[in-house]
This record gives sequence, C-alpha cells and structure tokens, in this order.
Amino acid sequence: MIISKKNSIGNQSPVQQNTVTNQSRRKFLKQSGLATGGLVLGISLPQTTIAGFKMGEGSTFNPNAFIHIADNGDTLIYCGRCEMGQGISTALPAAVADELEADWTRVSVKQGEGNEEKYGPQATGGSASIRVMYIPMREAGAAAKIMLVAAAAKVWGVPVEVCVAENHYVINKNNQQKLGYGDLASLAANEPMPENVTLKEKKDFKYIGKDIARHNQGDIVVGKLTYGADTKMPGLKYAAMTHCPVMGGKLKSVDKSAAMQVKGVLDVIEIPRFEVPFGSLGGVAVVADNTWTAQQALKKLKIEWDLGKHKSYDTKAYKAQLVKNVESPAQLAAERGDIKKAFAEAEHVIKATYTGGHLSHAPMEPNASVVWVQKDRCEVWASTQSPGDIQKVLAQYLEREPQDIMVNVTMAGGAFGRKFKCDYVHEAAVLSKAVNAPVQLTWSREEDMRTGYYHSINAQHIEAAMDKDGNVTGWLHRAAFPAIASLFNPSLDRAPASALGDIDSHPFGIANYRSESGEAIAHTRIGWYRAVYAIFYGFAFGSAADELAHKTQKDTVSLLNSIYDNNKNTQQTEQVARSKGALAIAAAKSNWANRDTLPSNQGLGIAVHFSFNSYVAMAVRVEVNGDDIKVLEVDAVVDCGQVLNLDSATAQMEGAIVMGMSLSLRTEVVFREGAVVNSNFHNYPVLRINEMPQVNVHFVENDFKPTGLGEPGLGPFAPALANAVFAASGKRYRDLPFKPMSM
Amino acid sequence: MSQSININDKNYPIDVEGDMPLLWFLRDKLELTGTKFGCGMGLCGACTVHLDGQAVRSCVMPVSSIAGKTITTIEGLSKNGDHPLQKAWLTNKVPQCGYCQAGQIMNAASFLATNKTPSSDDIDTAMQGNICRCGTYQRIKQAVADAADEMYKEA
Repeated sequence: MIISKKNSIGNQSPVQQNTVTNQSRRKFLKQSGLATGGLVLGISLPQTTIAGFKMGEGSTFNPNAFIHIADNGDTLIYCGRCEMGQGISTALPAAVADELEADWTRVSVKQGEGNEEKYGPQATGGSASIRVMYIPMREAGAAAKIMLVAAAAKVWGVPVEVCVAENHYVINKNNQQKLGYGDLASLAANEPMPENVTLKEKKDFKYIGKDIARHNQGDIVVGKLTYGADTKMPGLKYAAMTHCPVMGGKLKSVDKSAAMQVKGVLDVIEIPRFEVPFGSLGGVAVVADNTWTAQQALKKLKIEWDLGKHKSYDTKAYKAQLVKNVESPAQLAAERGDIKKAFAEAEHVIKATYTGGHLSHAPMEPNASVVWVQKDRCEVWASTQSPGDIQKVLAQYLEREPQDIMVNVTMAGGAFGRKFKCDYVHEAAVLSKAVNAPVQLTWSREEDMRTGYYHSINAQHIEAAMDKDGNVTGWLHRAAFPAIASLFNPSLDRAPASALGDIDSHPFGIANYRSESGEAIAHTRIGWYRAVYAIFYGFAFGSAADELAHKTQKDTVSLLNSIYDNNKNTQQTEQVARSKGALAIAAAKSNWANRDTLPSNQGLGIAVHFSFNSYVAMAVRVEVNGDDIKVLEVDAVVDCGQVLNLDSATAQMEGAIVMGMSLSLRTEVVFREGAVVNSNFHNYPVLRINEMPQVNVHFVENDFKPTGLGEPGLGPFAPALANAVFAASGKRYRDLPFKPMSM
Repeated sequence: MSQSININDKNYPIDVEGDMPLLWFLRDKLELTGTKFGCGMGLCGACTVHLDGQAVRSCVMPVSSIAGKTITTIEGLSKNGDHPLQKAWLTNKVPQCGYCQAGQIMNAASFLATNKTPSSDDIDTAMQGNICRCGTYQRIKQAVADAADEMYKEA
C-alpha cells in the first residue's frame, strides 16, 4: 500500500509549537492563516479481476484525495467504488471513520467521479470492493488519525504518547484538554505521512461490523436522491431508442417521416453498431423535448432490419442441444487422479444433467444516462458500475483521451452486472454529438429486457461415484454454456477451460476428477449477472450431492461432511473447514435433525457454496401442494470473515434470496427467431412481496479478513430449494426455472 | 389558463399533449424526479402517486384525464419527511438501491389510510403491485406494520 498526502493549503511554514502554547486555539488558527483548508489524504489500491476481465486495467497508482477534514470538522470521505444499492458507499467510509476515530455524524460521503488514477480501480463487480479496499481504506483512516494526534501534541507541546484520538477530538491525557479535528485539520496537513500504521483491534471497533444505516436513506424516502435517469440540466433533450432485435444484425432501412412529424421531435438518428466491447449494439433513436414524445415517435418508425447470422437462435432448441453436448464426451478442461478407476470400482453411481436459461438483470431503473458532448469537453452523468469503461468507450468513439471524458457517477437504481456495460452511455454520446445538446437517453423496459448482456443459458452434467464405504471417489463435471469471454472473442465455440476454474477448485476436492467443456456458441451478448457462474455451478454441486445422498440413503449433511473430510488438498483446508462450519450452523438453525417431524407436505433442503471468497450455506423450508411451491422460511449462514456493515450484509442475503427465488421458480429470457420474446414484468415475472418467505440471516464469527457479499448468496439458494421441494414431494427439479411461464 | 392539476399543493397548467402520462409530466416537465419510471405499463409500481388520496400508477394516467384533480407525489407526502411510513422506512433500513421505494411508500400510504390494522396478508395483497428487485420485501412488510402501529396507536 502506498499512502501519500496532499496539502490542500499550500506552502505553510512548519508550525512552531512554542508560539502557540499560550494562545487560544481559535486565535492561533487565525494568526497562522490556517482558517481555511484542512487535511486531505489519498491512497492507492491494488488491482483485481473478475471472470477473466481485469478491472481497472490500465489504471495507474498515483494516489490522490479521498479523505477531507475541513477546518470546521466536517469530514468528507469519497467512495470511488460505484453504489448500486449494495451499500459499499457506507461500508467503506465507515471503516475509514472507525480508524480515524471520527464521529460518524460528522462524516458525509461523496461518490467519486470516474478517475482511476485518483481512486484506484472503480469497476465495481465480482464482490471485490470490500476484499480489495478494506485494509487500504482503514490504513488511510489510521494515517489521518496519527497526523491529527501529532498536530495536537505539537499544539500542547507534549509527546504524542499522551494524546489519544476519540470521537472527532484529540484528548490530552495529562489534563483532559481537547482539540477538535476541525481545529487540527490544517495543522495535521503539515505533519509527515506516517510510514507505518497500526490498525485497531476488533474489540475496539466502533463502526466496523456494526449495524449502520446507509448514508443516503434519508434522501431516498423523500424522493431526493438522484439516479442516472434523474439528471436534469438546462437545454436537456430526451431520447428513446430501439435496437436491432438480433445480435449482430444491421439496419436495412428506416422511414422516419411519420416520427419526424410528431410535435416535439427534434431528430431521428441512426446509431450503427460500435464494435468495441460494451459499445452500442446499433439501432435507431428519437430525440425530443421529453421522454414520452420520444417514446411515442419511436413507435412510428418503419424499420427494416437485416437480422444477420443469429436470426434463428431459439433457446428451447439450444438448451436441448447443450444437454446433448454435456451428455457425451466433450473437451477436457481439467483432470486429476484416476477417474476411470473410481467409476469402475464404484458401488453407486449417479448421473444427472442440470440446466438453466438466460436471465435478464432487470434492475428497477432501466439503462439511463445523460451525455453532453461539446467541442472540447465531454461530460457524462450515468448510473454505472464502471466509469472507467465509459471513459474508454467514449474516448474510442470521440477519438479523445479517456481522461478527457468527465464521468459523474450517480446512484444506480439497481444494476446486478448490467450497468458494468456502457452501451447505453455510448448511445447517449452519439445522440448528444448529433444534436449538439446534452441528451438523456432512457431505455424503455422492453429495450432493457431485449437488449441485454444475459446470464448464460447452460447445461451441467454430473457423474458421481461412491465406493462401498460411502466415500465419494469420482466426479465428472461437464459444462456447456456460452461464456462471457465470447464478448471479447466472438469466435469462441465453448467456454474456455478458465471459465470452469471455479468447479475445478470447488472445495469438494474429489480425488478423481475431470471437467469438460461442451460446445456452446454464443448467439447473444453474454454478461456478468449477479453471482455469474456460481448460479449454475452451485445448483449442480448442491443438487447432485443431495441426489447422491438420497440414492444411497444418507443424510445430505453427513454426505457433504464426508466429501469435505475426504478432501486431502492441503491448499483447501481452510475452505473445507469454513464450508463445513457454515453448513453445520445452517443445519442447527433450521432444525435439520428433526426435519422428519415437518408436516407431510413440507420439506427442508440444504446446500452450501463457496464463491467470490465467501461461504454461504442455506436451509430452505417449503410447502408443496400439487404443482404449487411455497417457500416458507430460509436460514442463510454467511462466513465472509469480518463483517463490515451488519445491516448491508444482511440486506445482501435477503436480496440474494429474493433474486434466487425469481430465477429458481420463474424468470427466464426466451429467444425465438433470434430475438427475445420477453418484454416487460408480465412475462418476466420477478418475485413480488406476497411470495416473500421468512428470511433469517446468521453470520459466522471469526477473524478472517472480510470478503464480499454482493453475489455469494445466490449459489446455494437454488439447490437448497430444489432439495427442499424433493424432500416435500419427491419431485426433482433439474431445470431452472422450475416453473417457466409459457411464452 | 385552460386546465390545470394541483400537485403537492401547487397548481400547474397542463401545457403538454393530453395523452402524456402524468409520470412524464412530473419528471420531464416539472422535474419532480422522485416518481420513477420502471415499466411504463403499470406493472411495477415505481411510478405510484396519489390521485385525490388514492394510489395510482402515473405511467398509465394521461394528464388530460386528471385535470382539476389533486396529486401528491413522494416530494409532497410530508412537509419534513416525517410521515410515519418514511420514519418506519428509516428505522427498518428498508432501501437498498432505493429506486422503487418512493412508489412503495406512496402505495403503502394510500393503503394505510383505509386499513388501520393490516394483517400480514393484507399487506401482501396491498403491496404486491410494487416490485423491488433488490429484494427488500421483508423489511417493507415490517415497516408498513410499524407505521400502522404508529399512526393508529391512539385508536
């Protein structure tokens, strides 16, 4: 870690402590001309990667400001990571405030603009923010505190050892005199940056691990918080857009005449496909003096598309083909031990194929941003997970430098991976350039659903071997799914071996193991969807273990424990222990041992999954009547090491369970003749409140370093639910969603 | 002035095409952006406002149909952001991304005006038109119940 300091008050001469001993604080500050300014601290951060994509690629490590203590004590902490409801812009600043010994009520939080030189990597995904930022943010807070204490010691002419920082003051232990952080801030700015800092012990945490309200909730409940879609400014024009329904298709012709006649329409603009990662898929847009007019005029366009080579994509046929591709030998991804021998000597073998459909992120706020392209300036206001990618894409489009694209990061009204890609921002830039005004482009719900970067449709085939002593000795996992890597390399004919890495390194660690990747060419854009591959890997592992337990008349928890105990990979000792630990608590909390006492139409299912460096076990209790599945209660047990904010961590689990229910039970994006059939919430029926089960979230207490929680709740949910339904009814669901709508 | 709408105690002339839904009149004309666009079909509830005290979906409500009526949006629900529902939302730390929450609160406010002792099923029925993709439903249920207690504890 590198910490550096910027002095916000220019070249002040060093403070002479003897000149201040007999003066009041106020007078001293005035005389020294230090009444304005304060302490500004910066930091640099390591790089991180998610699913084969290096985030913040190309960013440098020049540290810059993100803590500012003003001379009135008001403390501003910038959050460079993007906020989409996961609570990061509260959790990280609270960790800074804890080490800083700041009074949280004096702290405000500001979302950092797009600037990776200043804030480090800002691409927010992979449940990485806490994992990457926790220690550097705390170190910065601790460094600022040391400087404030040193400044106070000079004022009093005492050794720093007799000074202690507490709740926005430094206290002289000899005489209980106090100096506020505001009074000290400008002095502290002249103190040297400490070479080393000692972080607080867990027992002394004031904010870390506590139940802290998000900083923006007050604005939310009165409708004041502004999202990308809420950006307003003088001269703003509004746009609506339609895209080619098939990936890679092109506009053949458009009759604009009727649309141009609509009162309030300024222009109809063709946007060609921009073939860079996260560029526009191409389409036609209407710019008008309000969104409604633009939407209405859009409907009057007569468009002919050349649909291109993916025009016969049909997900029903494709899924059936994926099943074939995993039920016969495929391309080797990884291998260990002697899988042939394990199966030859097996007492029991199970074979099962699990499948799942495409998913649309469907955040409540559809894609929206404002872009204003001017001759020598380009400014963006966007709901985004990756301002750096906006800079990169717009720089390519406008032939400017990335740092010349000013990106204001607004609150995102949900994102779930979709707003990592900035095609919608690129489109707003095209429109702004064309009409020479700031343009707000808001996608309709229909466009949002039909022009996505979808979660992969997939098939997973598992074959498991058990010996006569009940040990699981062999495991074959064949996966077929169009991979995210196809975005960057469209010629890929299957998921690369690296995309199967999470199954190869799954803490089951079965000795004789083989993974294979089956053919799966992408016919649409594939993207990160909350939890990404953990959704289907978790479903396959958790369902197969339960199926094996039932087949061999074992208790699923005992079987899972025996699998983990047989893992002899010393690199995975911690993963095994923490997986087992979470599972044991889930079993205890859900009263697993007494599940036979449930009413006959109820069942309890359990699963545990390790993903994004966190461990989550879930026990799901359901009631099944005929085809009707009612989820009654979920116990989620989380081991994410040190919890940062108990409230947001709990909320992440609640949210993962709601999203897990949607994708397990009903939601699926269907393609026919190359295009998405779903259009809005009536045929993409996400969970509503009347189906909300009782959710109980439990955290494992330990001292492991913190890991993220945006995604890990999804992996264990679907298998725990499938296992519960099987326990209640004897019906085994192997295809997600269990109960798709007929389209 | 031909026709007008009263919104949050102020009168506004209807100076747009009559078929424009109230949602876009609020958002793009008056720049009252607390009311959100989510689906455009009355399916998600993000755009919920009060029409003469009743919760309605502003995305499917043409302005011409509500001339002379009284509209309340999230910005006008309470003077100081202290409606019992707003307080209960904060106490229960309901919002995650927050985008749907104005609609949730407005829908709940209309519901609680007529149901003083809502059961869990009552809350489900009243609130199931409002989608929250972040999954805050458990907290919404608790917050609505808490607000009902607060509003009618004297009764």
